[in-house]
Amino acid sequence: MVVLAGVSVIVFALVHLVPGDPVRLALGTRFNQDAYDTLRERSGLDLPLVQQFFTWLGSAVTGDLGVSFRSGDTVTSLIAERLPATLTLALASILVALLIAIPLGTISALRPRSIIDRFATVISQFGISVPDFWMAIVLILVFAGTLGWLPSGGYVALSEDPLGWLQRLVMPAVVTGTVSGAVITRFVRSSVLEAIGADHVRTAQAKGLPARQVFTWHVLRNALLPLVTVTGVQLAYLLSGVVVVEIVFSWPGLGQLALQSVQARDYPVLQGAILLFAVVFLVINLVVDLLYTAIDPRIRR
Amino acid sequence: MRATRPLALAAAGALALTACGGGDSVDTGGGGGGGDNTLVAAVSAQPDQFDPHVTTAYASFQVLENVYDTLVVPDPEDLTMQPSLATEWQTSDDGLEWRFTLRDGVTFHDGSEFDSADVVYSYNRIIDEELSNSFRFQNVESVEADGADTVVLTLSQPTPNLLERIGSFKGMAILPENAAEDLDLTTEANGTGPFQLESSDASSTVLTAYEDYWDGAPSVDGVEFQYITEPAAALTALQNGEVQWTDNVPPQQIESLGGDDDVELETTPSVDYWYMSMNYGRPPFDNRDVRRAISFALDREEIAEAAWFGAAQPNQTAIPEDSFFHLDYSPFERDPEQARQLLQQAGVTTPLTMGLMVTDEYPETVTAAQVIASQLDEVGIDVQIEQLDFATWLDRQGAGDYDAFYLGWLGNLDPAAYYQEQHQTDGPNNYQGYSNPQVDQLLQQGATETDDEARKEIYDQAAKIIVDDVSYLYLYNPDVVQAWAPGLSGYQIRADKAINFENVELP
Repeated sequence: MVVLAGVSVIVFALVHLVPGDPVRLALGTRFNQDAYDTLRERSGLDLPLVQQFFTWLGSAVTGDLGVSFRSGDTVTSLIAERLPATLTLALASILVALLIAIPLGTISALRPRSIIDRFATVISQFGISVPDFWMAIVLILVFAGTLGWLPSGGYVALSEDPLGWLQRLVMPAVVTGTVSGAVITRFVRSSVLEAIGADHVRTAQAKGLPARQVFTWHVLRNALLPLVTVTGVQLAYLLSGVVVVEIVFSWPGLGQLALQSVQARDYPVLQGAILLFAVVFLVINLVVDLLYTAIDPRIRR
Repeated sequence: MRATRPLALAAAGALALTACGGGDSVDTGGGGGGGDNTLVAAVSAQPDQFDPHVTTAYASFQVLENVYDTLVVPDPEDLTMQPSLATEWQTSDDGLEWRFTLRDGVTFHDGSEFDSADVVYSYNRIIDEELSNSFRFQNVESVEADGADTVVLTLSQPTPNLLERIGSFKGMAILPENAAEDLDLTTEANGTGPFQLESSDASSTVLTAYEDYWDGAPSVDGVEFQYITEPAAALTALQNGEVQWTDNVPPQQIESLGGDDDVELETTPSVDYWYMSMNYGRPPFDNRDVRRAISFALDREEIAEAAWFGAAQPNQTAIPEDSFFHLDYSPFERDPEQARQLLQQAGVTTPLTMGLMVTDEYPETVTAAQVIASQLDEVGIDVQIEQLDFATWLDRQGAGDYDAFYLGWLGNLDPAAYYQEQHQTDGPNNYQGYSNPQVDQLLQQGATETDDEARKEIYDQAAKIIVDDVSYLYLYNPDVVQAWAPGLSGYQIRADKAINFENVELP
């Protein structure tokens, strides 16, 4: 709560400090002083900043995040409208990322400097360095264009059209999942390597435990901690919206909303979105901490 | 005269109040459309909101064009004003009173009758609430009903472009009386147009045909506007049949698409113009010779080619070739020698540094600026390109904090709209600070001259001086570029970029 209060002050200040005038933007390039003054007054932007802040904070604590300058919709409804798409994409991407990272990272750690390790290094280097924009366009051109297997983009709700939902989810999830997966692969590799080299593993091997058992109980379990941490960080990042991928695939997520409200200097929406991202970070950190204690009994003490 | 259309990536979208039931949700998955008679159009941005009197976003007007009507409407071919909700009009001899006779048998989408009270309400809403289009009623003293089928506009001075002011786009739409109280106009609509607003969310906006439309029900059952921001994705969606129409065509592909059998591509010169403007408050750009030197140093063909890959017509004045008010005047041929001479004559020591403010909101300004920079480099002007986001750009423009900027004016139809606010001393959009008494006088004369030929003569004179003085450095008029599925008929591409699907028929 204290953190949130601090965040809200910073968010409000930052958003209002960015140069640019939402009223001028709303009126477009043709300037008209009377219309400008009227709109400015109507949107409450003529009031002192401190007063604006407390008005906003006062309603924010009751769950009312205000009304968008541009659309006239409430901020909560705008965010709620886009939350399902963002959740879907974030969870699907993490799934793809883990499916890539865990096998690839583990195998390359078990056989350091082997062909497969080199291969994994190249793959993860590729995933990190190739722009997601480029990867997305190539996927669209190949799978929606040339092959015609998948729709080029868009989003439908799972409840409305399960097949269409899945078809539209595949490409964006693969793109963001590959990028996250590439990052996570490296963590998996290094933490597995570290766990293998640990004393207790050597002891376990020495007392003649089967390799499989050593691996699952003594290596993997210890390698899990860093994996949970980095997965949490990646998930928080994905939940705050992946702007480029959302735009290329016409995916109506929070990233697009945030970008649009930055461009329009739509303060209420921007404040609401950033506040939400802050909450997401806090919650994920909390969950990660709880998982730590579940995985590693030592932390409980 | 679309006041402005920042190709708005606008926050928003009406909550789908009536979640679209089976009938209007269109299957756009891989398959070839099925038996659904709905047109799916790919547009580049989400409408910010649906109040025609408030929004300034082009994305909103793409939708509203099909939902609302105005008293008069630009002809799709030559953009002259034609009857729409008004069937005829008379002007008094002194030009100060306009009587509009309204169309009979028009109903709003909720079934209520259209009459003069709706016109009076709509116009007074714009005037009284000082909405962004209130400047269009500058000369209007009163809007009054005379019976149910007549509206009288009383003016303070003859206004030859009154029809253009009230009809050039759907920002001047007629709403039913008390619409702002009865409806949430940002998310709901009740117009007299060929389509009704059904639903809108963060992915698409859905319209359904209005069967009782006064000009006959549209041929398709509905239109779905899908927002596809990335041009390559929009084009792919068109090529594999997910959508049947788009205006989001990658400019670099215009040429190659000419030979593509999966796509019908059409272009037409638009009424938009792009220009560079130099700040008179920042020496040496207050010096006419310096501005002329810069004008002589530029190759407009090359700039248009870079920005639009050939889909633009170089023009040294504002008004495009197809317009009645076009003036064929091009005193500046690229001539670096003369440019250098003029700079020397002005006493400028080269290299002269010039900041050029552009915005990623309109990517063509960035591309064009690079070409301008290399051309000006040859005459000893060092151009510092300042690429800003549009909000910051507007701030600095308003504060006069720039040497030069690059931008366009979109959707103008009447010469007054092209020249008056931008070049009259202290005009609301004369950011550069131009002031020429002769131009002021001509612009004032043009605003009240009712004879078209005489009016053109006046604006021709004004334009020549504006061009010679380089108040604006005019560069080109881009083409409108749109593409659709082969076999789609009844759609007409328009110079004012209005998107009207009233008569469209699917293949």
